[in-house]
Amino acid sequence: MTGRVIVITSGKGGVGKTTTSANIGTALAKSGYKVVLIDTDLGLRNLDLLLGLENRIVYTIVDVIEERCKLKQALVKDKKNPNLQLLAAAQTRDKTAVNAEQLKEICETLKEENDFVLVDCPAGIEQGFQNAVAGASEAIVVTTPEMSAIRDADRIIGLLATKEEITSVKLLLNRVRPSLIKSNEMMSVDDVVGILEIPLVGIIPEDTGIITSTNKGEPIVNDENALAGKAYRNVAQRILGEEIPFLDLDEPKGFMAKLKNAISKLKVKV
Amino acid sequence: MSLFSDLYNTLAKFFRTSDEQIDASKSVATNRLKLVLMQDRTNLTPKILEQMRSELIDLLSRYVELDKDLLDLNFEQEGNQVALMLSIPVIRAKDEDEIEAAIKEHEKAMIAISQQNDENESDENSEIEESNDSSEIINAEEDDSTDPSMDISSKSMKNKDKKEVSAPEEIGNNPFKSDNMDLSEILETSLEN
Repeated sequence: MTGRVIVITSGKGGVGKTTTSANIGTALAKSGYKVVLIDTDLGLRNLDLLLGLENRIVYTIVDVIEERCKLKQALVKDKKNPNLQLLAAAQTRDKTAVNAEQLKEICETLKEENDFVLVDCPAGIEQGFQNAVAGASEAIVVTTPEMSAIRDADRIIGLLATKEEITSVKLLLNRVRPSLIKSNEMMSVDDVVGILEIPLVGIIPEDTGIITSTNKGEPIVNDENALAGKAYRNVAQRILGEEIPFLDLDEPKGFMAKLKNAISKLKVKV
Repeated sequence: MSLFSDLYNTLAKFFRTSDEQIDASKSVATNRLKLVLMQDRTNLTPKILEQMRSELIDLLSRYVELDKDLLDLNFEQEGNQVALMLSIPVIRAKDEDEIEAAIKEHEKAMIAISQQNDENESDENSEIEESNDSSEIINAEEDDSTDPSMDISSKSMKNKDKKEVSAPEEIGNNPFKSDNMDLSEILETSLEN
């Protein structure tokens, strides 16, 4: 089997790369696919925390590269889903401990026995980024509807365009707040897509549930009721090639809101 | 009809979401972002922009007398497009004779530069600069007094800056300093063709 290697990147930090990696990985594994998540943020590893696997890590990616263990020994199986495995980053080393060629080799090996290899990229555009994208053939660029995040995403998209191996670059818009978009205080999905000009793979609403799910070390896709969880499950479906409509986040809730909405639409006609 | 529309407007105002009042925040962000990305995506560094500006001044001042200090070159947001805006404060239009003379002077200077260039090709850079200075003095009469900050090539020659400030009529704003040689070369070859 030859799996797909997808890098999850953003340029800017704190926009939700790791959360996205954990959730897409979990959702794909729940759909029955074999998934390996690689944390390439050496020295600042967090993917283990989001998955609740921090206590199970024995070997890291640096141990594999420096041949202190076999690749299979370093893979940590998820608590709930054996289809999902994590290759953790080393916490005591920095980005220079790994080079692009070594990461590419690991991806090549892992994709032989898995359907998906998801690479969680560190923030920035230096060595860590170059390492993370080395083995990938697809990329998901995570951004939020904020100027600084969009600018950095644009830079990343430009850099990804120079990588011949990467054939698909898609946008995941995270932390969208429909109420702010509605009152024109936040850039809308269309605004962001219009600026970055790459196809959209997901729109994730801001959800306080993310905080509690991180606290518990359990990705929000496992919560059937959470809106962000549903949005991430949709992203996984789209990665699998299904045509899933984007969640309608603008729907007004109360009676008054509906009335207001109807009247503001009327206004245009007169 | 007007009664109805008045009534409608009053009602609409009551129900209206506060779109209009806070519209600014989002569109300001979008516009600022478009502008900054435009600059990020091109390779137009401030230095290159400044060079573009000084070359434009050289070109335009052959045809009109303009206020070089107030000439403004910037990227601006025009509706959905980013435009390169050039604002040129014109002091007065030159008449035909003046324009012709300026163009001839320019061509002469280019030929002189290229000849000097050929002669000095094997020489060191410092010598090229020196020989260019002599041609500047020949052309000084034609040129207006200059602001040293305008000309990027003068920035790279700090000693000369001072000279230009103190005696602008002695050394004019000559476009053919060493930094601009490439352009004159290109222009010349295209003329030959």
